[in-house]
Amino acid sequence: MKVGLVGNQNSGKTTLFNCLTGMNAKIGNWPGVTIEKKLGTIKGTKHEITDLPGIYSLSPYSAEEEVSRNFVFNENPDVIINIVDATCLERSLFLTTQLLESNCKVIVALNMADKLEEKGLSIDEKKMEEMLGTKVIKISALKETGLEELIKEIDKPIKRKENKVIPEYLSKDYDIEKYEEIVNQKYSFISRVVETCIKKKKRPEAISDRLDKIFLNRWLAFPIFIIIMFLIYYLSVGIVGNFTVDLVGDALGSFGEWVGSLMENIGLSEWLNSLVVDGIISGVGAVLGFVPQLIILFLCIALLETTGYMSRISLLLDKVFRKLGLSGKSLIPFIVGSGCSVPGIMGTRIIENEDERKMTAILTPFIPCSAKLPIIALFAGYFFPNSSGIVSSSLYFFAIAVIIISALIMKKFVFKHTSSTYISELPEYKLPSAKYILKDVFDKVMAFIKRAGTIILLCSIIIWFLLSFSFKMEYGVDVEESILASIGNKISWVFKPMLGENSWEAAVSALQGLVAKEQVVSSMAVINGLAEDASEGAEIFVKDGAFGFFTASSAYAFMVFNLFSAPCFGAIGAMKRELGSTKKLLKALAFQTSLAWVLATFVYQIGSRIEKGIFNMVDIGFIGVIVGLVILIIRALFKKNKNECVECPYCRSCNKS
Amino acid sequence: MKTIGENCSLSELKIGQTAIVKSINIVNKDIKRHLLDMGLTKGTNVTIKKIAPMGDPIDILLRGYELAIRKSDLKQIEVEVIK
Repeated sequence: MKVGLVGNQNSGKTTLFNCLTGMNAKIGNWPGVTIEKKLGTIKGTKHEITDLPGIYSLSPYSAEEEVSRNFVFNENPDVIINIVDATCLERSLFLTTQLLESNCKVIVALNMADKLEEKGLSIDEKKMEEMLGTKVIKISALKETGLEELIKEIDKPIKRKENKVIPEYLSKDYDIEKYEEIVNQKYSFISRVVETCIKKKKRPEAISDRLDKIFLNRWLAFPIFIIIMFLIYYLSVGIVGNFTVDLVGDALGSFGEWVGSLMENIGLSEWLNSLVVDGIISGVGAVLGFVPQLIILFLCIALLETTGYMSRISLLLDKVFRKLGLSGKSLIPFIVGSGCSVPGIMGTRIIENEDERKMTAILTPFIPCSAKLPIIALFAGYFFPNSSGIVSSSLYFFAIAVIIISALIMKKFVFKHTSSTYISELPEYKLPSAKYILKDVFDKVMAFIKRAGTIILLCSIIIWFLLSFSFKMEYGVDVEESILASIGNKISWVFKPMLGENSWEAAVSALQGLVAKEQVVSSMAVINGLAEDASEGAEIFVKDGAFGFFTASSAYAFMVFNLFSAPCFGAIGAMKRELGSTKKLLKALAFQTSLAWVLATFVYQIGSRIEKGIFNMVDIGFIGVIVGLVILIIRALFKKNKNECVECPYCRSCNKS
Repeated sequence: MKTIGENCSLSELKIGQTAIVKSINIVNKDIKRHLLDMGLTKGTNVTIKKIAPMGDPIDILLRGYELAIRKSDLKQIEVEVIK
C-alpha cells in the first residue's frame, strides 16, 4: 500500500517517518527541513511510506511545497497520514479540511500528544472524529506512542470516496476573492471544531518566551550570536584541534613506519612499499587526523539546528539580509552549509523569491564547510600555533564579509529584484533528543571516513602514480621530473601572486580541491612524503620540504583561496540544479574563483609586506587607493537603497525602485 | 499607543497589544493567499508577541502559534485594537 505523510512544516513528519521505518532521515527544528520526498517501508509491513516536505495548504507556494501537492493529486496514494501538531490544532486543521476533499483515505495523527498536558490542553479525539468524518489518533513520534494503532488503521479496508478533481480554488489561476471566501468558511468550521474538542487551562509564561527575552533582546541578540558562532570554530579547531591532531598524526606516523618495515621484511618490492606508505597511508591518514574536530563541529551544528535557535538568527538577520538582496531565510542554507554545502544549497528551496534563492545558492559555498576544516586546521595549527582558534574563527567572519560584498555586487549587477517577503513560523525552543543528535553526528562522521576510504584513497593512489612516474613511464624518477610536476609547472604562475613562490606542489593540491576540499590536505601529505628522503613522521611544512616556503601570510592567503574558490564537484552539481542552467553555473563559478584569487592575492601582498617590515610610501598609497575604491563601491551599492520609494500599499505592483 | 476600538494597521501596534483583523489589503495575491492559508483571515485575533532586535520582522501570535512577518506586509493589514 502506498502511504504518504502530509502535514504542516515542523510538525514532526520526519521524526514519525524515522520511527516507522527505522531510518535516520534528517530532522531539525525549523520550517522546511525536508525538501525532497523520501521513500521507506514501514517496519513489519509491506507498506511503502513517503515522507514529504511540509505544507500549510494544497495551494502551491514555494518550490519544495509543490512536491507534496503533486503527491496528493497526481501520485494516487492509498492512505494519507495527516500529521497534525496537536499543540497547534487550529492552523493545522486547515490542511486537513483540504485533504478531506481529495479522494484518498485520510488518517489524522495528532502528534506531540505528550506535550498537551504541559501546555494545559486536552483534546477529545472522538468528538473530533465525528466532526471531521475521519479517523483521529493521538500519537507521539518522539516518545513512540500510539504508533501501533496507527499502523493497524492503515491496514483497514479503504473506503474511497468517488474521484474528485482538483478543486477550482486550488488551481494555478485562482480568483483571490473567491479564495478568501472559501478560506473564511473553512476556518470558521475549524474554529467550531476546536471550540468543541479542546479544553484549555491557564498556563504560565512559556519557556520559549522567556528565552526569547534574552536571545532576541535588542542589545544582547547580536553579541550572543557572534559569541556562539565564534565558539563553534574556536572549540572545534582551537582547543580540540591542537591536542588531537598531534596525537593522531604521531599514531599514523608510527603506523606507517611499522607497515613499511613489515613490508620490507616480507620482501615486498620497493615501489609497492612506497605506494602503501607514502601514497595511501599518508594521503588517507592526513585527512583522518581531523575526525575529532569534525565531531565537535557536527555536534555544534546539530545543536543549532534542533534547538530552534536557528530560526531566531534568521529573524535577527532578516533586516540586514534584505539590504543585501537576500532574505532572513538565506541564513538557514548558510548554517547547514557549514556542515556540507550540498544540503545547504538544496535547502535554498525554502526561499520563496527566485532571485534570493539563486543568490543564496551561489553564496552558500563561501561558508567554510566541514571538508574545508582540515585545510584551516592544518594551516592555522602550524602557522598560528598560539591563536589557531582565533585564526580559524577569523576565516568564518572573513567569509561573512565576502558574502556581504558579493551579495551587494550581485544585487547591483545581476539580480535586480525589488520586492520580496518573509513569512515564517517561529518554532518553540526544544530540548533536542540525544539519541538523534548522536546518530546524526555518527552518520556524518562515517560519511567523511567513507569518503576518505574511497575518493581520497583513489586520489592518493593516482597522485602517488603521477608523482612516481615520468612521462616516459620510468619509475622512481625525482619528483621534479614526474608527470604531476610537469602539469603543475604549467599552472603554478596563477598562484604566484598569492604564495610569492612558483610552487607546482601547491598548485596541483589546490586544483584537487575540486574533487573534495579535504583532498588538498591529502595531496600535500603525499607530495611531501615522496619529496622527502626520510619521511618518517615528517611535518608537511618541514623547512626544506616541498611546502617549506609557506609563511604566515601565504598560509592565510592559500586558505582564503581554497575557501572561496569553486567548491567541490558535489556542490557544483547542487548549484547547477538550483541555478537551472550551465551558463549561469559557469558564471557563478568564474565569479567565485576570481574573487578568491583577488582576495588571496590581496591578503598575501599586504601580509608579506607587514612580515618583512618593508612597507614603503608606494605600498601605503596603493593600499589607500584600493581601500578607497572598496568604500566607494560599497557606498554606491548602498545608495540605491536610499532612493527606493517609501513603501506604500501599492509597492509590490509599481515599477518605481 | 493605539487605544481600544481604534482602527489602524497591524504594524502600528506595540508588544502585547491584541487586535482583530478587519481586512487584508495585500496586492500580491500569492502572498495574500499564503497568509490566508496560515490562518490570517478576517475576524482573527492577533497579538504582537516579539519584535526582532532591529525592529523588523514582527512576530505575531494567532490561532495558537507564532508567525514572523515583515512590517511592510503588516502595514497592509487593517485591524481594530481590542486590548
